[in-house]
Amino acid sequence: MLLELKDLIVSYGPVQVLRNISMQVRKAQVVTIIGANGAGKSTTLRSISGLVNLKSGSIHFDGQRINDLPANKIVSMGISHVPEGRRIFPDMTVEENLRTGAFLRKDKTEVEKNLKDIFNQFPILRNRRSKNAKTLSGGEQQMLAIGRALMAKPKMLLMDEPSMGLAPVIVDEIRKIIEQIRENGVTILLVEQNAELALNLANYAYVLENGQIVLEGPAEELHDNEQVKAAYLGI
Amino acid sequence: MQTGLNALFAAAYLSLVAVGLVLIFGVMGVINFAHGELFMLGAYVVVALYTNLQMPFVLVVAIGLIFVGLVGILMEFTMFHPLRDNPLGGLVASIGFLMVIQASITIGFGVRMEHVPPVTQDVIILSEKVRLPVQRLFVILSAFVCLTALWLFLKKTKFGWALRASAQDPEAAMLQGISTRTVSIIAMFIGAALAGVAGSVTAPVISVSPVIGHSVIVSAFIVIIVGGIGSLEGAVLASVTYAFIHTVITTFIDGVIADIVGLSLMLLVLIIKPTGMFGTQDRV
Repeated sequence: MLLELKDLIVSYGPVQVLRNISMQVRKAQVVTIIGANGAGKSTTLRSISGLVNLKSGSIHFDGQRINDLPANKIVSMGISHVPEGRRIFPDMTVEENLRTGAFLRKDKTEVEKNLKDIFNQFPILRNRRSKNAKTLSGGEQQMLAIGRALMAKPKMLLMDEPSMGLAPVIVDEIRKIIEQIRENGVTILLVEQNAELALNLANYAYVLENGQIVLEGPAEELHDNEQVKAAYLGI
Repeated sequence: MQTGLNALFAAAYLSLVAVGLVLIFGVMGVINFAHGELFMLGAYVVVALYTNLQMPFVLVVAIGLIFVGLVGILMEFTMFHPLRDNPLGGLVASIGFLMVIQASITIGFGVRMEHVPPVTQDVIILSEKVRLPVQRLFVILSAFVCLTALWLFLKKTKFGWALRASAQDPEAAMLQGISTRTVSIIAMFIGAALAGVAGSVTAPVISVSPVIGHSVIVSAFIVIIVGGIGSLEGAVLASVTYAFIHTVITTFIDGVIADIVGLSLMLLVLIIKPTGMFGTQDRV
């Protein structure tokens, strides 16, 4: 098991956002969390990255307990987070954004090679490499955010709503990108409101409602589940 | 011409102070009211080591840079880090710190003005009416060197990127493995050191007293508000603009009028473009 969440409880003030969440992610799999707005999907990812503190519970990555580590240490263990809303650095160039993703890496030649690979994968970023990131379109910014996370050479990628606010054509492109990352052997934990996209990409899925897991199973099974169909797939 | 050179001199030390202030605000989100006192401390390093102990001036400036930079780190540890979730608290604490420094200097050196003997009396005569004392040229060159070094640091080095990234989006910076704490300490050191250098190199040209920080910080606030509070380039350009206007009015009309004009200018900018001349939501 690469990632294991056990009985997570997180609260913002008096409000419990996560109530006893337990989850497992196997190596080289895509696992998705679907659910409505405010169900606690982002909070789950943020607690893995060390951006929010747990009230109780534990998180293990690669056999090591990580839930008391600061965010920068968690990155160094091999977890990269593509945050909701992309959160690129607007006044830094595309290239600077990407290189910032490799902040902790010491293997300079490998970093250069990685950068080249990312430019090959996203040619549009190469064309804009010395432009400020805020001048990019939404889809390009999403690619930049994904590229930046990949520059850390992560074992695992946490992706928060990569399709949010993007045109269907671009969403399709993002789907292909995620497939490619999966083929490269990177484990992915994907949070999505677009359940159709998420269930098509994933091996395993969790359905979150009001901070609790109400349903889980292999993605194809959930895709055919009547409850899921009615609530999230709009069929 | 002469007025222009005087203005350039004023712009030089003012921009050092203002840029440091912007840097600290950008990274830590706190307005450092004690920034003028860091300038004053830099000047007193010169009084103590150059005037009194007669150490070489250039060495003293270097010591001023490092010493005041370290005071900046001390401020981070004692105030801004413990109060990191409370920017207003940081501001209030820095006002307290301002008083502590002023009182300590007053106890150590007294309230009277210190006269720092000029390092050199040489004057470059550019024409019959235009003279540039070498001492002032030194201030201008120091500012130029420090600001260029800062620019290179921010644009070309890994920690410079980390600093800019943290200023633009602290949380996203953490997700890249950047320690915001480390970045804060670096920003505090650089910001304070710039004010210290400004105080040190300017000391022989001005009268040094425990209250010189006040006029400097007021000008610096005007400058960063006019320039757009987060923008480093804005701070430098506004420093130059402000220094020129201020010096021209002081020379041809009166110093008090110049202060009034400066403050009115700030008001005007706040009314017309609240983000400042070069402001956007841009940060460092």
